[in-house]
Amino acid sequence: MIEVKNLTKIFNQKDSTLYAVDNLSFTANKGEIVVLLGVNGAGKTTTMRMLSTVLKPNSGSATVEGFDINLNPQRVRVNLGFLSGDTGLYARLTAREVITYFGELYDVSKPKIKERINEMADLLDMHDFLDKKVDLLSTGMKQKVSIARSIVHDPPVMIFDEPTAGLDILTAKNIVDFIHQCKNEGKCVLFSTHIMREAERIADKIVMIHEGKILAEGTLTEMREKSNLQDLDDIFIHFVNNSKVEANDEF
Amino acid sequence: MNFKKVFTIYKKELLDLMRDRRTVITAVVVPLIMYPLMMIGVSSLMMRQEKKLDDQIATICVIDNVQDKNSAKIIQQLENFDKFQLMPYVAGSGNLIEDNIVKAIITISDSINTSNYQIIKALISYNAADEKSEKVYRQLKNKLDTVEQILVSERLQKIQIDTDILNAVEIIQENIAPPEQMFGLLVSKMLPYMLILLMISGGAVVASDLIAGEKERKTLETILVSAAHRNELVFGKYLTVITISLITVCLNLVSLYFSLHHLLSQVGMDMVGIQLPIGNFALILLLMLPLATLFSAILISISTYSRNIKEAQSLQMPLMFASMMAAMISMFPAIELNLGMALIPVVNFALLFKEIIMGNFQLNYFLIVLGSTLLLDVIAIYFSVKLFNNESILFRTTEEKSLKFWGKNKKNIFNPQFIMLFFIAISLALFYLGGKWQAADLPEGLIRTQLFIILLPTIFVLRISKSDIKKVLRFNPTNPLNFGVVLLLSIPVMIIVGTISQLINIIFPFPESYLEMMKNLVQMNGVSTWKLLFIIAVLPGVCEEIMFRGFIINAFTKKGFWYAIIVTGVLFGIMHLDPFRLIPVTILGIWMGYLLLKTNTILIPIFAHFINNALAILLGKYGESIPIINKLIVEQEFSWWLIIPAILAFVWLLKIFDKINKNNTLSEVA
Repeated sequence: MIEVKNLTKIFNQKDSTLYAVDNLSFTANKGEIVVLLGVNGAGKTTTMRMLSTVLKPNSGSATVEGFDINLNPQRVRVNLGFLSGDTGLYARLTAREVITYFGELYDVSKPKIKERINEMADLLDMHDFLDKKVDLLSTGMKQKVSIARSIVHDPPVMIFDEPTAGLDILTAKNIVDFIHQCKNEGKCVLFSTHIMREAERIADKIVMIHEGKILAEGTLTEMREKSNLQDLDDIFIHFVNNSKVEANDEF
Repeated sequence: MNFKKVFTIYKKELLDLMRDRRTVITAVVVPLIMYPLMMIGVSSLMMRQEKKLDDQIATICVIDNVQDKNSAKIIQQLENFDKFQLMPYVAGSGNLIEDNIVKAIITISDSINTSNYQIIKALISYNAADEKSEKVYRQLKNKLDTVEQILVSERLQKIQIDTDILNAVEIIQENIAPPEQMFGLLVSKMLPYMLILLMISGGAVVASDLIAGEKERKTLETILVSAAHRNELVFGKYLTVITISLITVCLNLVSLYFSLHHLLSQVGMDMVGIQLPIGNFALILLLMLPLATLFSAILISISTYSRNIKEAQSLQMPLMFASMMAAMISMFPAIELNLGMALIPVVNFALLFKEIIMGNFQLNYFLIVLGSTLLLDVIAIYFSVKLFNNESILFRTTEEKSLKFWGKNKKNIFNPQFIMLFFIAISLALFYLGGKWQAADLPEGLIRTQLFIILLPTIFVLRISKSDIKKVLRFNPTNPLNFGVVLLLSIPVMIIVGTISQLINIIFPFPESYLEMMKNLVQMNGVSTWKLLFIIAVLPGVCEEIMFRGFIINAFTKKGFWYAIIVTGVLFGIMHLDPFRLIPVTILGIWMGYLLLKTNTILIPIFAHFINNALAILLGKYGESIPIINKLIVEQEFSWWLIIPAILAFVWLLKIFDKINKNNTLSEVA
C-alpha cells in the first residue's frame, strides 16, 4: 500500500518558486486502483517521481509497503513497479535481454528470471518477439516488453504514470487489462491520467489534484453525490471553480 | 554499494555499446582499418612522387660570363648529367624560374684572389619552395664540388704537390645511440600526444551516449526507478567509459605499430635491430589508467549535465582542445619534467610518457605525477557521483544559458552576462591599449590606463544605466576604527600573500627578466616617491576598487556572500594579465571583497588597496636601508617563519574587525 503524508515539492525557477506538489496526502490500499486525476502540470508526474524516489521531496513523506521514501529509497524501489510513457527501453538489446537486465538489478535470481519471463510471455503473448531487438518491435510489442520489465520482480505496488498517452485503442487495452489483473492479484495500483473517461472506467478511488493541491478525494459515486453532477468532466470543473472561490475567500 | 550490480550494469553497457555501430566504428574499425590504409596509401604515394620527381628532367639555364676552359668544364659536367637539360640564356626573357620554365639559373663569373689564382663564382638561383628546384640545387652543388676537386688537383699537379696533402682530417660518423633510442626519439615526440588524444576521443563518444544518450532516449528514468543505487549506476557507466577508452588506445597502438612497421620496411629501413621497448610500453599502458579514470570522470560529469548527446558533445569540445594543447607539449624540444610541470594535469603525463619511452624517467617525478593525478581522480569521481545524485542537474530542462539571454535584461546591468562582456572588453583594452601606452612612457601610461581604461568606462556604464552611483558604489560612512584595524591587518596580509608568492616561485620559478621588471615598476627610476605613490598606490586603489568592488561585485551578490567575493577576486586576478601574480592578486582581490561586504563601504577596500601597494613601494625603495626589514624581507633568504606570527596576527585582528562590523547589513543594489 501507499501512504502519502504532506508531500511537497518546490522547483526553483528563474525568478520564482513553483509549488509543483503542495502538501499532498492520500492513501492507496492493497487490491485497490487509485487514479490521480488532473490536467497537465497539475503535479501528477512529480508526485509519482517522488514515490519512485527519482525526485526527493522538499518536505513531507510517503511510505510504500511501509518503507519511507526518504529513509529507505532502495527498499521502496524493490517493492515498486513503475511504468510511464517516459520509461523507454534499450533499443539495441533484445526483449529478453532487457527483462533479464532489470531482473538482475532487482536482485531476482537467474533461474527465477527465466521462469518469470516464460510466465509473462504466456500472459502477454510475447513468445514470438522475445529474442528480437527492441528497436524492431511495434509500439504494442514495446508496451508489452515495458510491462514485463516493470513486473519482473513481482512488486506488490504498481505505479502507472499516464501509460496510455499516445497509444491506440488496442495497445491501450493491453494496459488496462493488465491493470485489472494487477488488482485481481491483490496489488496496490496508482494510476495517473488527465482523461476523465479513463478514470471513470477503472478507478476504485479518484484523487483529483490541481496546481499541486488536492481538489477532492473519493469514489466516483461519492463525488457525484457531493457535487450533484453526473459527468466527471463537469465534476472536475466544479471542484476547480470551488477551489478558486475558497482561495479568494482567504484574502 | 553492491559490486555485483555495478558489474551487471557494466556488462550491459558494454553489450549495448558493442551493438552500436557508431562506437564500434570509432573505437575498433577506425584504428584497425584506417592506419594501415593511411600508412600504406601515403607511403606508396610518397614513393611514387619521389620517383616521379627523380625521373623528371630539369631544364636549367646557364649564363657563362667567363667563357674559358674552366667554365667550359663546369658546363661539360652539367651537360653530361642526364637529369639536366641546358638552355642558353636569352636576355629579356623575364623571370624564368618564377614562370617555371627553368628549375634553376646558374650564373658563372670569376675574380682573382690575393695569391693571384682565379676563383670561379657560380651563382645558383633557384626556388626553395619548389621541391624539384630544391633537388636541382643540391645536384648542381654536387656537380660544382666535383669540378672544384678537378680544378684543385690540376693546380696542385702544376706545382707538383701530391693531392693527398688535402686529406688532413677525415670524419668518421659513428652514432652510438642504440637503434631503439633513435626510434624512441621519433616515437617519444608523437606518441604521448596521440595516446592522450585517442584516449579522450574514444571515451568521449561513449560517455556522451551513456547518460545524455539515455536522457535523449528516455531510458534514464527507467533505470532510476529500478532497484539499482545511483552510485552503482555511475560506477557501472564510469567503468564502461574507462574500458572503451583503454581499448581504443590499445587497438590504436597495435595498429599503429604494424602500420609503422610496414611503412619503414617500404622505405627500406628495416625494423630488424629496432626493438620496441615493450616493457616501457606496458608501463605506459598501466599509467594510462589513472589518466583514463580522470578523463572518464570528467566526461561522465559532462554527460550527466547535458540534456542530449549534442549538448554533451559541444561541452566536450573545450576539454578536447585543452587536453590537445596540453598533450602537444611532448612535441616541444627541451621541455622536461620538473616539479611545476609534474603538477599540471595532462602536461605531466605527456612529459612522463616521453621520458619513459626514452628510458630515462626519474622516480620522484613519476610518483608526483601519479600522486597528483590520483588526487584529482578522487575529486573528479566524487564530483561526478555528486552530480549524478543531484536531481536538478540530472533533470535539467530550462534553457538557462541560451543566447537569447544576452539580449534580455537590458535595464539591469548587474547581470553576470553583461558584467562578463564588460570585463572582457576592459581586459582586451588593457592588453592592447594599456600595454602600448605603458611601453611608450611607463608613469604616463599607468596614469592613463587607470583613468581611461578602468575608471572612465565604469563611471560611463553606471551613468548610462541611470544607476544611483553613490548607492551602487557604496560610498557609505564607516566606523573610523576600521581604518586603524585595516591598516594593522595590511602587514600580516602582505606577509601571507608574499609567502604564497615565494611558494609559487619555488614551483614555477619566475624568470629573471620578470623580477627585474617588477622591481623597476616599484622603484621607477627618475620618479619621485610622492609621484610613485600616486601612480602605483592612490590611482589603482581608487580606480580598480571602483571597478571591481564598486561595480562588478554587484552582479554576483545575489548568489551569496562568498560566491560574490571569490568570483570578483578571480576576475581581479585575471585582469592583471600576469600568470605569475594570478594567485597572489586573486587572494588580494578576495580580501578586498571581504572588506567591502563586511563594512558595506567602498572606502575601506580603497584604503586597504592603497596601503598594500604603498607598502610594496616603500619596501622596494627604502627596505634595504632599514636594518630590521632588510634582514626580514629584502635579503636573499626568505624568512619562512614569518608566516606563523602573520597568521596569528591576522586571525586576532580579523576577530576585532568582524566585531566592529557585525551589525552592518548589506545593502541590496540591483
